Amino acid sequence: MIKPIKIGALAIAGALALAACSGGSDSAGGDVLVVGTDLPLQGASADASKSTNEVAALVLEQAGGKAGDFTVEIKEYDDSTAAKGAWDDAACAKNAQDHVANTAQVAVMGTYNSGCAKIIIPVLNQAGMLMVSHANTYPGLTVEWDKGEPGLYYPSGARNYARVIAHDGFQGTAAAQFLFNEQGVTNLAVLDDTQAYGIGIADAVQIEFEKLGGTVFRGSWDVKQTQGYTATFEKIKASGATAVYYGGIFDNNGVQLVKDKTTVLGDNTAFLSMAPDGFSGYPTLREMPEAEGLWMTFAGKSLDGIIKGGGAPAKFIEDYTAKYGAQPNSSYAVYGGVAMQVILKAIAASDGTRQGVIDAVFAGEPLCLTAEESVSGMGFCLSTETGDVDTVTMTLQQMTGGVETDIKTLDIK
Amino acid sequence: MSNTAPAHTAVSGNRKWAIGFTSVVAFFFILNKFILPEAGSGVQKFFNAWFSLTSMAEIMIWIIMALGLNIIVGYAGLLDLGYVAFWALGGYVAGWLMSPFFSGLNINFFGNPRPGLEFGIHFHVFLVLILGGVFTAIWGVIIGGPTLRLKSDYLALVTLGFGEIIPQFMLNGADIAGYNVTNGAQGIGGLDDVNLFGYVIGTFALPEKFLMVSLMAGAMIFFSIRLRDGRLGRAWLAIREDELAASMMGVPLWRTKFASYAIGAVGGGIGGVGFAILVGGVYADRFNFVISIIILAMVVMGGMGNVWGVVVGAVTLAWINSVGLIQVGELVNNSFGTNINFPSYQFLLFGLLLVLMMLFRREGFIPEARIRMVMNEDKVDEEVSDETKIASK
Repeated sequence: MIKPIKIGALAIAGALALAACSGGSDSAGGDVLVVGTDLPLQGASADASKSTNEVAALVLEQAGGKAGDFTVEIKEYDDSTAAKGAWDDAACAKNAQDHVANTAQVAVMGTYNSGCAKIIIPVLNQAGMLMVSHANTYPGLTVEWDKGEPGLYYPSGARNYARVIAHDGFQGTAAAQFLFNEQGVTNLAVLDDTQAYGIGIADAVQIEFEKLGGTVFRGSWDVKQTQGYTATFEKIKASGATAVYYGGIFDNNGVQLVKDKTTVLGDNTAFLSMAPDGFSGYPTLREMPEAEGLWMTFAGKSLDGIIKGGGAPAKFIEDYTAKYGAQPNSSYAVYGGVAMQVILKAIAASDGTRQGVIDAVFAGEPLCLTAEESVSGMGFCLSTETGDVDTVTMTLQQMTGGVETDIKTLDIK
Repeated sequence: MSNTAPAHTAVSGNRKWAIGFTSVVAFFFILNKFILPEAGSGVQKFFNAWFSLTSMAEIMIWIIMALGLNIIVGYAGLLDLGYVAFWALGGYVAGWLMSPFFSGLNINFFGNPRPGLEFGIHFHVFLVLILGGVFTAIWGVIIGGPTLRLKSDYLALVTLGFGEIIPQFMLNGADIAGYNVTNGAQGIGGLDDVNLFGYVIGTFALPEKFLMVSLMAGAMIFFSIRLRDGRLGRAWLAIREDELAASMMGVPLWRTKFASYAIGAVGGGIGGVGFAILVGGVYADRFNFVISIIILAMVVMGGMGNVWGVVVGAVTLAWINSVGLIQVGELVNNSFGTNINFPSYQFLLFGLLLVLMMLFRREGFIPEARIRMVMNEDKVDEEVSDETKIASK
């Protein structure tokens, strides 16, 4: 028969023995400061996260592993689980505590998902640790959106979170203005993919488009709707809309969506369609004839735009390609590098304490990166009040010949 | 032999397991509260990596969930593929009653709202736990009522349907007839810190949070054992073994099954509340089919019907999912200079473990006596036959 008490005692003794054997000390001690990267390393976002970690590591390497007088090391945290294949709320809650428990750690680069950021920010806020995201686009993290936001995420009352990418409000505004002012659309169908990012950006498009005087037909497409979306597009046809906006990400059954749109409403010359950066960077989409003529926005500069822009940012992409054998997986990965640059600059300007690093961003003069410094080629300053970038460069793209072609960039202040 | 001997053995066995469980909980609480803060960084690093308290607390939640499902699957023999729905319902009860989410209201019943976020509903955690249990039990009744006349595969499919419908409702519940019921994909964050009669369990009070969910798991274990040994529990086991024979013996089939569904759902509700408190919010993304299957695997691999077996199953799988694979991977990679991403092979390893279990230990890690007998009917027959031969000699 199994002896449970013996099993328990054995497990505890084993754990203690292993602990005794493990010895050693933290890799980071003395003047070595740690920056944690917090990304989903498993599931659909694994490749993008791997690339982001590599970009961040290269940024640190090119800085000589230093920020001012401080030696900096990166520690990678995984906020996903294999069971979910995506970010996991329990993993995010665990990471938040682990960031705080690591006494050498002064900042976090991440997260990729806004939902995960909602869990981590309040914990880091109470511990006084800086967090800089390269990919969180949910507006309520930094500005008033739902009631109680963003105060909900900052229990201490002070800010500790910044992001180097424009929130959905900017991208939605730019898309609505482009469609209404430049394409003459007055009746627009706005669909969302029922997920946080998609709903947020679709809301932003709808609000701005209605503010401009347009009419909006609002609907959604659900990834689990296996019978397709022809019924949805039939409704759009009946509504009198002359263009459709896909608020969401291409991963969520985008192939079926784009095909059904063409079947019911015609191609993009007959019936205009537009999407946010959730549709950007997908080879499958580029290969679809139905995607020809699709308009897209990207919050920031696209990878092609960075390379064509030349100078130090293009050289950085070259260095990355030489080191890792391929270009960064997506533009978001490059923005991971920008977030790391912000953190390194904050550390350099600090006294090496957590509070000092936060103060470098939120107290005194705004922390800025020039276009020459930034690996994205986009200069900006961070607002000391909200932690958002003060200048948003929006790239307008159109799918032509199976390539996302940059049409123009829009600087939105 | 006395008639009371088997019962005595069972009580004694339970006592040993209970002491084992309590010892492990006490060990981790004392270690993290008093010893680790003063220990060397190497020891701290080891325990934070292999047995972090946040992971241990999460494991307790999995235990509660698995024990809840064990009542439905292990005791009553009803296959439920949608148990995650009860987790979701429990979580949202916490989200609704312990946060500023319903911003149009201003209700505080011994709650602990954060300064500046006094609007919304703020109930005391004990009340939320009770309401979470009651709410999910009601939903267990609503779901169970029309479906429990179905059998085996058909029942499994219907529960699967409910397991999909409720999380989808949560995901799309930001606009139900103009009302924001669930905040959709954004989830509900900013849950109140737990306030136990003036003692606030704050964000960084991990040992206290661990102790809190461990007590919840302990209570679930206690009630599971008491239920199994009671009249209702024996009726469930009778139905599980042979429905026709049970009904012939006067067991009311529908009512008994109904009770298993309602009571089993309570585990999901209480665990859901506990999990939402640990995470600080409730997010619809979590509630997918895979979670239901993992809970079911915990029950099956641990030993259907055996409370301690299910506890061991839940601890094993939850630990593997949370930190086990990552740490074992790091150990292997550091020792052999390899670069294998162990977590990416989770489902391969998980599948392999299931296949091996089914080949060599179908009845689970710690099987229940009846199930062991059924699973090893041939061996038992042989043993009985041998014993008969010896006796006849």
